[in-house]
Amino acid sequence: MIAQTNPFLKLRDLTWAWTLRTLRGRYQQSALGWLWAVVQPVATVAIFAVVFTRIVPVDTGGVPYILFSYAAVVPWTLLATSLPDMAMSLVQNMNLVGKIYFPREALPIAALLARIADFGISFVLLIILVILYGIPISPLGLLFLPLIFLIQITLLLGLGIGAAALNVFYRDVDPLLKLVIQVWFYASPILYPVILVPEKWQWLYFLNPMAGIIAAYRDVLIYNRLPGEYLLPAAAVSLVIFLLGYWFFKRVEYQFADII
Amino acid sequence: MPPVIRFMNVSKRYNLGLTRTSLPSVLSQWAKQALRGGASSDRKYHWALKDVSFDLERGQSLALVGPNGAGKSTILKLLAKITQPTSGRVEVNGQLSALIELGAGFHPDLTGRENIYLNGTILGLSYKDIQKRFDEIVAFSEIEEFIDTPVKRYSSGMTVRLGFAVASCIEPDILLVDEVLAVGDASFRQKCIERIKTLLNDGTSLIFVSHDMGLVRSVCERAIYIEHGQVQNVGTSGEIIDIYNQVLDRRRIEKMNRAGGEADDVEGGVEVTKIEALDAHGKPVRETYGDQPLEIRVRYLAYKDIGKANAIVLIYRSDGLMCANMRSHLDGYPLHITKGEGEYSVRLEPLQLFGGTYYAITWIMNADDSDGLAYGASDWFEVRNRVPGREAHIAVYEPNRTWRQNVRVNVTESARQA
Repeated sequence: MIAQTNPFLKLRDLTWAWTLRTLRGRYQQSALGWLWAVVQPVATVAIFAVVFTRIVPVDTGGVPYILFSYAAVVPWTLLATSLPDMAMSLVQNMNLVGKIYFPREALPIAALLARIADFGISFVLLIILVILYGIPISPLGLLFLPLIFLIQITLLLGLGIGAAALNVFYRDVDPLLKLVIQVWFYASPILYPVILVPEKWQWLYFLNPMAGIIAAYRDVLIYNRLPGEYLLPAAAVSLVIFLLGYWFFKRVEYQFADII
Repeated sequence: MPPVIRFMNVSKRYNLGLTRTSLPSVLSQWAKQALRGGASSDRKYHWALKDVSFDLERGQSLALVGPNGAGKSTILKLLAKITQPTSGRVEVNGQLSALIELGAGFHPDLTGRENIYLNGTILGLSYKDIQKRFDEIVAFSEIEEFIDTPVKRYSSGMTVRLGFAVASCIEPDILLVDEVLAVGDASFRQKCIERIKTLLNDGTSLIFVSHDMGLVRSVCERAIYIEHGQVQNVGTSGEIIDIYNQVLDRRRIEKMNRAGGEADDVEGGVEVTKIEALDAHGKPVRETYGDQPLEIRVRYLAYKDIGKANAIVLIYRSDGLMCANMRSHLDGYPLHITKGEGEYSVRLEPLQLFGGTYYAITWIMNADDSDGLAYGASDWFEVRNRVPGREAHIAVYEPNRTWRQNVRVNVTESARQA
């Protein structure tokens, strides 16, 4: 017997193989290949730059608008691309789920990892832009980057795994999710800075974990300062969402093959 | 040592009525329930298995036999942990590999090489293990030249070969095989069966589902007859195959009687119920020699009077080469089929086939030979070479033959030597 018996190692190997499969499948027959990872956020920023510097100028606190906007669009693109992928990951592979046993989490996690690869590429461009614009970066602030990223991944895992499981039962999840992401975009500080939100409503505003996450990325990368205490509610809400999503997934997992 | 598989009073229920995919249908379901007084009695259940128990000891092979929808595949799915029992317990002690759907994990855009790694990982192999077995897998699947071609360009036979090669290289403690060998060409099927037998000899336990009773007899020691989700009989595979065949025969006759001469569900009105290869004494054979007679006998069941018909018997070698093409009406022997059971046969004396694996198929054709009414295919039969040392040679025809040599004696030379 040579097959893997440690379930964690099996999950790890399978998730990795599935991530590579997703990436290869996505880019193998495309001319631009991985460049698409950058094309989408750059195009978004280009449109924003025209609207919000020429037509409706936005106060960016002295930072070039392109940088201001790109620093938010990169983490937002990770959310907007990975959540629908994760939600569809089980349903799209129903022949696999119904016919072979394997740790089911591998599919949504791999969908997320494949988008994190794109995120990595567009993040490199973000760093290059920051350096080109000569923005000073504090080393202490950089130490916060992994933490901010971790909070975002916790949030995405919880939402994505929960959505993937729910989608098996109700296919409404996919269109509903796209609608939520659309609304969520305007509820997050992407087009505008947080200071536009009235002081007395900010506690409510920061219950949206993406508000804290994006504000923290901006603080660390383009404002040369440490994230504020607004990161705490973001972390707490993300953790709760992760636990709820994972709990739901595990609770209904055994029914997938029968229903799918 | 505990049994490798214990299936204890297992029942499995599927919900048929419960397909709540959209809000409008959920609302209308609720509304219906409210009108009817709240009871949700209109839910439709299907019991795929009812109180099924059996054990499998280490190294044993067990066949699950029964008609479609009897619950065989559900048992395999429960063993493979794809689905969970509604009640009862399923215990599996050891590494299990399921050949339930070959190539289910293949991605069409990826190459054969990439898919071997992906599918191997799904089946529980680590990257290193796959690397170690990569060459063996490729050699077994016979797709060396296409290993870097995307799988979407593979023929279905190639996909199946690759799927079996990956799944069987795990060397599991328990192997589940479900009807997958029905696909793929004949010689590869033979290769798969040999691979399964090798695994059995190495101590793997086997659960085997097939409608091919010849395969069941050759691969399995024990068998279970299942119907309506319940175990009907347990015994040696020979005993269970006899029971199963009796049930099938009885059912055919019932169907014929019920149809009352109007057979709607059997296209053509006639059905081939059995096709066998027989030896000189009329006994079924799986092995024979080219210098022996062989009879291909076909039993049929007609649901109505058909009248004049023609029989075709073809003999194929395992790689699909047609070796004989025999048509009864051209040989001046048309059939006459009336309602009920009957049989026809063709005797080849001697067989004169070269050593190899063969099978026979038959068609019952209508009177003007334009339309096939019924079809049947036999189990494999092995033709052995009488003369040793012929295994490496390739041929179809083994004629009865006599060798001769004429030596013209050179008189002067022999005289000189003398």
